[in-house]
Amino acid sequence: MSQWVRQGLRTGTKTSPYPAQPDTSPGVTPGLPQGGTFAPGAAELLASRCPSGAITARNGQVVVDPGRCIHSYRCTRQISSPLAFSRDYEWTLAASTDHHGGRLGKPFTRSVHLIVVDAGDCGACLNEVRQLNSPYYNMHRLGFFITPTPRHADILLVVGPVTDQMRAPLLKTYEAMPTPKKVIAVGTCAVSGGIFGPSFVSEAGVARVLPVDIAVPGQPPPPLAILHALLTAVGRKAVRTAPVHQSVADEKEHHGV
Amino acid sequence: MAFDLGLLLFAVLCVVGVVLGLVVSRRAVPLVVAWLGAVAALPLLVAGSVALIDPVPLSQALWSIPALGPMLLHRDALAGVFLIITAIVFFAAAIFQANSLPRLLGHNVRAYAAWFFALFASIAWVLLAGDVFSFLVAWEIMSIISYLLVGFEDENEQHGRAAYLMLGVSEAGALAAAFGLLLLAVHAGSLDFAALKSAAGTLSPGAQLAVFLLTFFGFGVKAGLVPVNVWLPGAYTAAPAPFVPVLAGATLNLGLYGILRVNADLLPASSTAPGIIALIVGTISALVGILYATTDNDLKTLFAHSSIENAGIVTIAFGAGFVFTAAAKPVLAAIAFVVALYHLGNHALYKSLLFIGTGIVDDRAGTRDLDRLGGLIHRMPWTGAAMLVGVLSIAALPPFNGFVSEWLTLQTLLRSAELDSVGVKIVFALCGAGLALTAALAVTCFAKFFAMGFLGITRSPEAEQAAEPTRSGLVPLALLAVLCFGLGVLPTYVIGALDRAVQPIAQRSAALALVPPFFETSPDHGRLPEPFVREFHDLGAQVGQGLAPAPGLVILHRGESANPVVFAAAPTYLVLVLGGLLLLVYVVVRGIATRARAVARAPCWDGGIKRLLPEMTYTATGFSNPVRVIFHAIFRPTVVEDTRETVAEHFRTAIRRESETVHIVERIAMRPIPRAALAIARLFARMHHGLLNAYVAYALLSLLIVFLVFTALTAR
Amino acid sequence: MTPTELESALALRCPGQFVLEHTDGTSVVRCKPGALQTICGNLFLDWDWAFAGLTVEEHSGHWELRYVFYRDRAAGWVHVLLDVPLEQRTVPSIVKYVHAADWHEREAEDLFGLRFEGHPRLGDFVLHDDAWQEGVEPMRHGFSAYTPVSERRPNHGWTPHRVLHAPGAFVMPIGPVFAGLAESAHFLLETVGEDVVRALPRLFYKYRGIEKLAEGRSIDHVLALSERFAATTAFAHALAFCRAVELVCQAEVPPRAQALRVFLAELERLRHHAGAIAGICESTALAVAASQVAILEEDLLRVSGALTGHRYLFGLAVPGGLATDLADAGCRTALHACIEIVERLNDLERMLRLSSSFLDRLEEVGYIREKEARSFGLVGPIARASGVARDLRDIQPYAAYSECPFSVPVEQEGDGYARLRILFAEARESVRIMEQALARAASGPVSAPLRARAGAALGWVEAPRGAAFHWVRIDTSGTVARYRIVPPSFSNWLGFHASVEDFAYQDFPIILATLDLSVSENDR
Repeated sequence: MSQWVRQGLRTGTKTSPYPAQPDTSPGVTPGLPQGGTFAPGAAELLASRCPSGAITARNGQVVVDPGRCIHSYRCTRQISSPLAFSRDYEWTLAASTDHHGGRLGKPFTRSVHLIVVDAGDCGACLNEVRQLNSPYYNMHRLGFFITPTPRHADILLVVGPVTDQMRAPLLKTYEAMPTPKKVIAVGTCAVSGGIFGPSFVSEAGVARVLPVDIAVPGQPPPPLAILHALLTAVGRKAVRTAPVHQSVADEKEHHGV
Repeated sequence: MAFDLGLLLFAVLCVVGVVLGLVVSRRAVPLVVAWLGAVAALPLLVAGSVALIDPVPLSQALWSIPALGPMLLHRDALAGVFLIITAIVFFAAAIFQANSLPRLLGHNVRAYAAWFFALFASIAWVLLAGDVFSFLVAWEIMSIISYLLVGFEDENEQHGRAAYLMLGVSEAGALAAAFGLLLLAVHAGSLDFAALKSAAGTLSPGAQLAVFLLTFFGFGVKAGLVPVNVWLPGAYTAAPAPFVPVLAGATLNLGLYGILRVNADLLPASSTAPGIIALIVGTISALVGILYATTDNDLKTLFAHSSIENAGIVTIAFGAGFVFTAAAKPVLAAIAFVVALYHLGNHALYKSLLFIGTGIVDDRAGTRDLDRLGGLIHRMPWTGAAMLVGVLSIAALPPFNGFVSEWLTLQTLLRSAELDSVGVKIVFALCGAGLALTAALAVTCFAKFFAMGFLGITRSPEAEQAAEPTRSGLVPLALLAVLCFGLGVLPTYVIGALDRAVQPIAQRSAALALVPPFFETSPDHGRLPEPFVREFHDLGAQVGQGLAPAPGLVILHRGESANPVVFAAAPTYLVLVLGGLLLLVYVVVRGIATRARAVARAPCWDGGIKRLLPEMTYTATGFSNPVRVIFHAIFRPTVVEDTRETVAEHFRTAIRRESETVHIVERIAMRPIPRAALAIARLFARMHHGLLNAYVAYALLSLLIVFLVFTALTAR
Repeated sequence: MTPTELESALALRCPGQFVLEHTDGTSVVRCKPGALQTICGNLFLDWDWAFAGLTVEEHSGHWELRYVFYRDRAAGWVHVLLDVPLEQRTVPSIVKYVHAADWHEREAEDLFGLRFEGHPRLGDFVLHDDAWQEGVEPMRHGFSAYTPVSERRPNHGWTPHRVLHAPGAFVMPIGPVFAGLAESAHFLLETVGEDVVRALPRLFYKYRGIEKLAEGRSIDHVLALSERFAATTAFAHALAFCRAVELVCQAEVPPRAQALRVFLAELERLRHHAGAIAGICESTALAVAASQVAILEEDLLRVSGALTGHRYLFGLAVPGGLATDLADAGCRTALHACIEIVERLNDLERMLRLSSSFLDRLEEVGYIREKEARSFGLVGPIARASGVARDLRDIQPYAAYSECPFSVPVEQEGDGYARLRILFAEARESVRIMEQALARAASGPVSAPLRARAGAALGWVEAPRGAAFHWVRIDTSGTVARYRIVPPSFSNWLGFHASVEDFAYQDFPIILATLDLSVSENDR
């Protein structure tokens, strides 16, 4: 077994500098498209090209709704006036944090257990969550642990648009979690349904089924974005002052929560 | 005086019971049996208590049989203990008759009632018999009535066969035991036990061993020792539900009584061989019993095998006692016998409790198969609670009685360190290891029983209909459960009582060794060194003295007089402290920690499936499968079926697996006997050719032999 | 077997029952219902054709059932077509001969309502019986994709289908929410307490109705769907869809795009295999090896992201070529990174070979014999680990694969260790292919304009998990009328269900990890 020890020493430390410092390694995030001012025709074209309706154009002003962006790159490839993509990854959109019996509180700041429910995702979001366990991101050093049982879980991570068959298991998982608890919708499909929902077998995101505290858009959101969301959930990072995501706000009113 | 009155009353009530049982209408029989039986048990209890307390044994001649001598009734403390146990078991079982006998109204319940009281009387007679003749007569009556009662539900052919096997093996055992007793009687020239006892000292070692073997295996039949227990599982399963508690709680004890009476009371122990044999047989019985119990799904068969296990444990304690007596360590022998009697009594209590509960479950839930029960604790909470007490007792968990006796048994085996012979010590060590393994398997077995039977989801529609039984079912359960708890929490009183029974046998008292009063510094307990006592006082050993009724239980292993090693268990204190801590935890958790929060109740987490069906939960077979796999060499299952069915050459429609096992004792001990007999018969069959000439030759040959013998005899 | 040979062989067995037309490597056999079983049975069992899939299409007056078989380049493809009037809902089942068609027929029954006569286990497949009532046929034209079903009458008395009959047998349920990071699927493990005798997977908890959502949508929108239903192999599926559309529209993809397509496909394969190996190490709880391989997987994700902008290669494949050109320098950097990563993979393979405790848990676990692999139509690395040497890049080359020769690794044992070895070997081959593809990527355009046409075609690709088939029918308005996906996981899940019996319960996660079955890919 000493070969593994030697191999480990040879490999060295790979951990990302985030969250102490920003991580600028190439390929670590796909970025999100940025809005801007365009000629009216170009703006309408951009709005019409987006398959999930994330781009709205008004008087040449192009606004991108990150909660609907499915990274189709139609707004930047094979188009005359492309949108620019950001290089960041702190994309968390927060709804109210006071659901489910109170804030998570101080004991959870450095030790939190997550349960991940796959409500119909394509595999990419789940794979990015898996990468959080790899030496590059190593969420254990930040106090996040994954548990297979909801009875021990503090935060529920949902990926996928909530298919018809996964609706009941998701609700059962949520109800089996003790308070205080938080729900994080990971990925555009979980936030707004992406291009899958709503349909005869799929919802338009987790907010239609459960009250969502934190949403991370992206298809898929890179591990650093998910890490940022987790840190936000326990209060170690502040959410950027960005307008509350439109679809989440809509869903809340829908639900009457 | 009280004894005579009690015994007379008991006898009269039994006779009344027989008569009434035969006369009264069928519907009324269960109530008659219940009331009379319960009432009859009380004077017997009094008589037994008197016999136990009175230090002077008494003999009473009844009738005189020409050429055989008087039929004696002999009571002493040992008989008293057994009488008390029998009375308690019969009391509870009698009340239970009111609950379960009505189901058997289709059979000849009048005969049942008559036999019931006759059996009661005959058991008491066995215990009080003072000479070989009355002992054997009482034994036979008891045997035959047991056979009649076991085969009571005779519509099932299997019941008849099981009862017949029981009769056969019982008679063989009775014959062997009678032979052993007669050997002693011939040597003594008289039939009564007192004469046997005084004459047994001059018996040759070979004869002593022969008597031991004959009586040990002869009485061992009723006790359920390997290899003469082939009949036990089948008979206990076949016996009707109202009778089984008596079978397991009263008649099983008689076998052990016989072994103890002959080998500890009548025979002097001169060699360690009897003790070693008893140890080994006891260990094997315990292991075999619990192994088959762990892998069985029928409740009655499960507890039958468990009875074999417990009889084995008692025999282990007997064996230890015999060895210690032979090695001239009378105090240790006394301890061993006290422990054996304690376990015997405990077993009678919790086994009758469990069998009564089984009868109730069978009646209410309609099935005895563990794979079809489940969830009964919601439907029969009181029965479930009582069964839980029984399960905790039989699994030897504190603070119930099973813990005390099994812990003491193990401790007694550890005392073998004080013996000299290395070989004997090795045997003790192995038997101790076997006992430990048995205890572990017992926990598995009874966890399986209680979990599969009472907890979880109900597995069949019949079990869904289960409901609490009537009072006549709950009262005996409650009584026995309370006794189980009591005997576990107040062991020092029990030991004191049992010590009276053991003292005449072992010539020494075990009470001081088991319950040394060293919590007091009174000077007349000078066996214990002063500084030692003071040390324990400083440790707080006298806490609660005067408040708690029993200070505790100690086996002192005296190493050096300055630093004795002490093994102690204090069930009384345990219960008090445990209760106190639980209360404290409850107050803290409910009163302080979670006061502001509601306690959420949610169904069991099942992975998010729609409904957890009964077929998705563990079955009893699945739970005990690892044991079946590990001890494969003992079970040796034969595969009956292992087929795969496919449709359209691709869809697996069925995989059928079935195997059957033959009990190891049957395989090793029983099957060879008829096989050998047949082989010998085949050998002799060769003589029968059918040729007339050969037969004439045989006749001539036998004539010649007779002639020669006659000549030889007359020539002398 | 040339088409003429095929025609004469079929004529011997069912004369007058079929009509064969051959165009361009594909033979279309229109047959009568009575001859269906004979033709398909002979193709599959006697002449060793592989079964790609069954596509059911509802036309205005009839059902068209298309059974696709393929062999090597010389023999090409055979589409067996069966036309059945719309009112007639029963069709003969070919499952007795073509075992690989088992789940195809069950899916068609659930989604279209067609009854396959002779199939013993229809129902409770895509639409679970305890969630949907009979008669819901979502793939029929009259059913709307975006309105929820008004009335739900599930069968509350559903019980699991039991195969094991033994005293004390029970069914252990696992999932759909189980383990830490597993996809949602429900398993029913039949056992008597020690070994699991039979595992019944109940999938389609993640059914998103991709095929239904695609109907009536533009090609561009369906391209987005094809990329996103199984995003860990997004590029491969998008490529298959693009090839189908290109075949319909008869578009010529420029050579640089073909070469770069090969480059990107192999990059995806390399990254996917690294993830699969990490999953195997994780399942055997060899944490150090799992971490080491996870580092390599993240490295490959970053290489993909740096090269193309997206870690999973989204938005690259378009009908006609690629959506954007990749700079040669960037490609070379990526290639060097991949070469280095494969060297580290080789080192890890050497070290894993020396870990006897690791090998103990993989060897002789999850046996799939060659006979079973063939008869259940297994594809991809797990089929090649059982001796079935079929790789679409080799036997039916596409893009620039015919110009980038490589060897196809094959093993014979069919156990977990063989499957692991195949993953390592294919990773090495991928890098070799990437080198050759980059060398052949001459400068030039990367996309050609597409003129929409009506028609239907089959696009195929050797995705990292195995052969994937996309059937696309475009109607006159330029929208997609029917989109049928046969992903590799669909074929391989059947193999797991049908052939893995009598395994220890502790081996269950390891078997699943070595088989690398994707639930999202299967469920669509």
